[in-house]
Amino acid sequence: MGKQKIIPVLAMTLLIIGIISALYVSATQINKDTITIIGQEYTVNDLYILGGEKTIETAYGEITGASLENIIKSIGVSCTLCNKYTIKGADGYPKTIEWDILKTGVLTKENRVCFPDTPKALWVRDVVEIEVN
Amino acid sequence: MDKRLIAGVLVFGSLWGFSEVIIGTGLQNANLPYGAIMTGFFALSFLVLSRMIFRQPGMQLGMGLVAGGLRVFNPLVGCHLCSAIAIMAEAAIFEVIWYKMSPDFSDLKTITMQTSMGVAAAYLVYVGGYITTQILTPIVGGVGFYLENLIIFMPRILASGLLPAILGAAVLPTILQVRKLDFTIKDRFYYPTALGLTILCWASVIGFSVIGS
Repeated sequence: MGKQKIIPVLAMTLLIIGIISALYVSATQINKDTITIIGQEYTVNDLYILGGEKTIETAYGEITGASLENIIKSIGVSCTLCNKYTIKGADGYPKTIEWDILKTGVLTKENRVCFPDTPKALWVRDVVEIEVN
Repeated sequence: MDKRLIAGVLVFGSLWGFSEVIIGTGLQNANLPYGAIMTGFFALSFLVLSRMIFRQPGMQLGMGLVAGGLRVFNPLVGCHLCSAIAIMAEAAIFEVIWYKMSPDFSDLKTITMQTSMGVAAAYLVYVGGYITTQILTPIVGGVGFYLENLIIFMPRILASGLLPAILGAAVLPTILQVRKLDFTIKDRFYYPTALGLTILCWASVIGFSVIGS
């Protein structure tokens, strides 16, 4: 099969993959106002009370939010260092990080997790779950 | 290496980097899907245009390094690591896709081939760049890469390629129309123009960064 056939077929295939993926993403989008941590649901306000307010300095300026370190300690994770933490966004975006990084971060009022020393791409918006692995 | 080609790499790479930093930031501030627009419109335009003019495989990789360098510098404020990695990856992926294409673009005579190639190139370049950043950014950022995270996120990445693909379907046939325009620049104008444009792009990005910091 020559290029004259392969390229249109490839283009069609890619468009179909894109459309099916978009439908799947739309169907699996999570819409909720709470954040699940070890099976418990918390609102951002709950987590502010648990974590207390903390300000971090990032490459994009100062960001204030609830301390993730205090949140994890407050909910009763006994060995914080032994675990990894997967933060999931409503769009399915997951980021797994170690305690050393998690403890530096904050959860903002806009429901976004930010860290002072990581690229912005590793911040997660519209957080729906923090999984303790 | 041909001096004219080096100048071409610098100019097109700088224009690409300039558009990523200045226009990309504007699109992002306007809450538009800037990544998809940057790849489907700007990146594809610069990559195809340079390939069409210079007919030199490998040149686009050089452009990616220049544009990515400009982005990672964005000099003075922040480190736009992801974007820089994505730009360099996009250039490399473009080279792979375009490797078997005829240098004179004779494969792309029909509108079906032009739109199809636009769709395929834009989709693969964007999705490939996206996947590369998802792998490399956590590694370079020192937080570690987890394959299961990438697998879970794959439907989102594959879906995000739709907009660049649609843009590519319109952009590539449009860019190919430029072939019909016969304009040439004499050497005595070419190098000063190339140098001037390159300096202008870098100065604008540095100025933008200083103002923004």
